[in-house]
Amino acid sequence: MSFLSRIAEKASKLSGLRLMSVYPTHYVEPIVQKDKQLEQKSDLSKLFHVPIKAAVNKASDTVFHDDTKEKMINYITKKGNSALARTLLSKTLELIKRTQTEHMNLAKGDKDAINTNAETLLKQAVENCRPLLQVTAIKRGGVTYQVPVPITTKRSYFLAMKWLLEAAREKERKVSLPEKLAWEILDAAHGQGRVVKRKDDLHRQCESNRAYAHYRWS
Amino acid sequence: MALRVLGLKIVKTNRNLLQNACKSTAPATGYMAAAPFATEVTIQAAPAAVQKQKVSKAMRSYLKRANEHDEFMKTQHLEFQIGKRHLANMMGADAETFTQEDVDEAISYLFPSGLYDQKARPAMKSPEVVFPARKAAEFDETGRPFHSMFYTGKPNFFQLLHDIVHETNKLADLEERLLRRGNKPDENQKLEISGFQLLPKDQLELLLVESIADIEYSNFTKSMERLIASPYAYKSKTFIERFLKPLMDQSKQLEVPKPKIDGEGRQYITTYECLRKTARADVTIRLPGTGKISINGKDISYFEDENCKEQLLFPLQFSELLGKVDVEANVEGGGPSGQAGAIRWGIAMSLRSFVDQEMIESMRLAGLLTRDYRRRERKKFGQEGARRKYTWKKR
Repeated sequence: MSFLSRIAEKASKLSGLRLMSVYPTHYVEPIVQKDKQLEQKSDLSKLFHVPIKAAVNKASDTVFHDDTKEKMINYITKKGNSALARTLLSKTLELIKRTQTEHMNLAKGDKDAINTNAETLLKQAVENCRPLLQVTAIKRGGVTYQVPVPITTKRSYFLAMKWLLEAAREKERKVSLPEKLAWEILDAAHGQGRVVKRKDDLHRQCESNRAYAHYRWS
Repeated sequence: MALRVLGLKIVKTNRNLLQNACKSTAPATGYMAAAPFATEVTIQAAPAAVQKQKVSKAMRSYLKRANEHDEFMKTQHLEFQIGKRHLANMMGADAETFTQEDVDEAISYLFPSGLYDQKARPAMKSPEVVFPARKAAEFDETGRPFHSMFYTGKPNFFQLLHDIVHETNKLADLEERLLRRGNKPDENQKLEISGFQLLPKDQLELLLVESIADIEYSNFTKSMERLIASPYAYKSKTFIERFLKPLMDQSKQLEVPKPKIDGEGRQYITTYECLRKTARADVTIRLPGTGKISINGKDISYFEDENCKEQLLFPLQFSELLGKVDVEANVEGGGPSGQAGAIRWGIAMSLRSFVDQEMIESMRLAGLLTRDYRRRERKKFGQEGARRKYTWKKR
């Protein structure tokens, strides 16, 4: 029901609003993936009369599409060269696949236990690196305290990917980014490595500063 | 407008009247006829007892104004009829059967205008359309208002709110009574409002002949929503429907073209002017085909980027026609991303002719059938870019 009023209200209140987007406010984000459309089938009749925004030029409905991958590409990109970022990430995934397959072939025991799916490994790595809390500097009575604060899901994903990339960019000149990134991702996916340690350090710092937590609101 | 084209003299003589009439600024539309509230400003609309000796000051001045307005509208009508007759003569048509559409056509033919704004162009419309409706007398000869909510200043609006709440309470009572009896609301009769929206503020104002504030409009929407949310809302369907407006069916708005037959007996559709950023493309789709793609005479390797190639195949893959149709495209201007986007839109638009309605709706939901109007945002002075500001330096 709020949906209906939203349209009516937006239609009437446009004058007071500063629009940054080209699309008028009653336009709705597209649902690009077909299976997502099937998921929301009951709600689709509401969209029957609503104009839809155009799909962005990265959108696709193939099995190769993955939201984590798309986000990672965005973070790797420097100066708008997303084509390069895309090749870098695909090289990384290829390297991961190669190392894991090699491991699998060399393994003597249970070969199925080794995950050779590079995309799930990437997702696993990001999940393992996600922090729950963060410290922010808050000044009270002339003293700056490091106060632990909870963070949103979106920010936790951002930090995880950013840390993975930072770790990968700290490397010798001879090593290429895909190589280092592949190592970091593999380490993180198994719950080891510098990035997971960084997350644990942050959590430990938050834990030790828990006495200051009340400065968040008082 | 009768005034603007033919009756300038009248405007001058009746300037004060005009100002009166224009005080309620909202432009009139077809809603006037359906307005349930008294809008007619005539002597007849005033109560009969007015003829008595004791007439209040307010009533007297109202009557005077109403009289003037009536006279004014009468002359306007006359002018309009004469003007229409003149136009019909000029166009060599029958004056009796000359409709408003003919008038508009004649005006745009006789007074061609290069002005951009539609409102600034010459027009001739019926005075009912040009001058918004006004309220009839709201008080009797002694100056006593008819409506109990007269002193709110917006009696029609507050009456409407009262009516909505009244309906809601009625439905709530009904629900409780039926619940006690063990009856449930009829699922088949459920009120379907997904194709409708509540009247926007400006239209509601026209309907009420009163101007309302934003917060008052939101009060209206909220109470209407509460009414519609009731499981027995179908019982007061007629009341609710007065304040609903049908929405346009999005995927049926554009007509799907019929495919033509080429020399080889294949069906084909050409979409011209597929635009995205500064690129422009013409796309031809042929069915049946083998999935051949030619862009400016080259195959898909015309694009070096992986992303651009993927964009081309997106609508084909989405509609499950990949490998079943041939695509020919001519594209110019813009960069690779824009060109790929233009062709993608062209392919999606052309494919509509070869898929069923359900798939068209699905493609629309995926955002394939919307023209992407986004352009590069300009750099602003005093800023580093479109949005980014210069680094702040204290001194």
